[in-house]
Amino acid sequence: MQVEGDRLTVTGTDLELTIRLTVDVGGERDGAAVVPARLVGDIVKALPAGAVSVELHDDEMSISAGRSQFSVRPLSLDDYPAQSEPAADAVTLPAAMVADALRQVVRAASTDDARAVLTGVLLAADDDGLRMVATDSYRLAVRDLPGTSVMASGQSVLIPGRALNELQRVMGDVEELSVRLGDREATFEAGGTRLSTRLIEGEFPNYRNLLPSSYPNLLTVGKAAMLEAIRRVKILAQDSTPVRLTLGGDTVQLTAITQDVGNAAEEIDASYDGVEMTVAFNPDYLAAGIDAIDSDDVTLATMDPMKPAVLRGVGRDDYLYLLMPVRVP
Amino acid sequence: MRLVIARCSVDYSGRLDAHLPEATRLIMVKADGCVAIHADGGAYKPLNWMNAPNTLVDNGDQWVVTNPKQETLTITLHEVLSDVSEELGDDPGLQKDGVEAHLQELLAASPHAIEVGLTLVRREYPTAIGPIDLVCRDESDTVVAVEVKRRGEIDGVEQLTRYIERLKLDSSLGDIRGVFVAQVVKPQAKVLAESRGFRWVEVDYDELRGMKPDELRLF
Repeated sequence: MQVEGDRLTVTGTDLELTIRLTVDVGGERDGAAVVPARLVGDIVKALPAGAVSVELHDDEMSISAGRSQFSVRPLSLDDYPAQSEPAADAVTLPAAMVADALRQVVRAASTDDARAVLTGVLLAADDDGLRMVATDSYRLAVRDLPGTSVMASGQSVLIPGRALNELQRVMGDVEELSVRLGDREATFEAGGTRLSTRLIEGEFPNYRNLLPSSYPNLLTVGKAAMLEAIRRVKILAQDSTPVRLTLGGDTVQLTAITQDVGNAAEEIDASYDGVEMTVAFNPDYLAAGIDAIDSDDVTLATMDPMKPAVLRGVGRDDYLYLLMPVRVP
Repeated sequence: MRLVIARCSVDYSGRLDAHLPEATRLIMVKADGCVAIHADGGAYKPLNWMNAPNTLVDNGDQWVVTNPKQETLTITLHEVLSDVSEELGDDPGLQKDGVEAHLQELLAASPHAIEVGLTLVRREYPTAIGPIDLVCRDESDTVVAVEVKRRGEIDGVEQLTRYIERLKLDSSLGDIRGVFVAQVVKPQAKVLAESRGFRWVEVDYDELRGMKPDELRLF
């Protein structure tokens, strides 16, 4: 925590991700201290509404508000990692557009550190604009941002999904997002908040050959109705059992069977063009893909029950969600 | 193992001279001849020590420990408070985490998972500072020291550095390079490994075990 004049800068880092926030305060004297983040955060959150007074003495920081008084022992200022300024040039993007794209893509990134490359979101530039891609090997989300340029055509970076989740949280309602992509680090600035993250090194899987140009079977269904049906049916999809979709005719039937517990079924209106089949999916992954789509109606395109299916919004070509089915007897 | 608690002063003479003034300390004399003088704090690190092989001459109130380089550690005993000896027998050694040990075993069986063309020379290759997980040779017959960890952090890179320093003392081995292998290598460890000229490799434990998950995957 650093006070200069009437500005307080709060910086937190775990060496891979750094977030710096600047806010206006009533500063009486300039100074800096390193304090235990969670402890001080808990204290300030617990204080009654109103002004909070923070004073730094030689070996303690006092925090008070109303009749509450806390004192916390600061950590060594000299031991705090030095913060460097980003070197790369800044590109300004509409924050709402980036937030929408992140919301659609980051959900597909893996959280398993065992395959570090899959915990990242690929940002790849081509002549048409920017593409964001994430996958956890069971599903893959691709969002195109035509006309958006943050780096030279042909370049790409891999940004940790964890950092982009935090970015969504700190962006708030700002209108513009500043992006700087360096060789080893990416920096984002939104309002008074700066987020810097190390880039992930490694080769992102070649996902392009997973995206066939056409599928023989196409289901079209209302987004809200499908999400509601999944929400109900998955109550009986316990112990990692999938939800089965029976495709054919003017309806789609969703069923879930958990041995020795029970089963659930629901039928919703749909239009379907293709051969009759039953295909099964992890209900959470299926719902996450449908939820990410910005459209009232969604399409589910399939080859067969063992090949990946593609979810898209009707009339929207800028986003797709590829989902691997689950093998069922 | 002989443990002596004594008020003592210690003088080391060798590459430099060092003196520990009179104070109460623990003197450990291990069965292999190692001598270490400990204060009542500071975790595992002694104040002064002399590694085996060396000779200890007990002159009653003064012990003189001499190593082959003629460095000496002279311990003057002013008052002995406790003096006990116990036969500890052979130590079974540090049991590694099950996954880490199994990972080492699997990589020994399939060194090509680390690098194409790698062949195993020996698993648990002995050195004076402990065994190296795997020592292999690559296609060009260069010796490759491999350190295997479940999580690759900078202390593992430091460990590999020390092993390679030891291996380089044996001129018959020729060129030696290092590879740091883990299921996940932390970014700081990658930077340190690269700065030391080592390769780092992330391996999939499940894949090495030949596990085929029931779930269908995109990759």
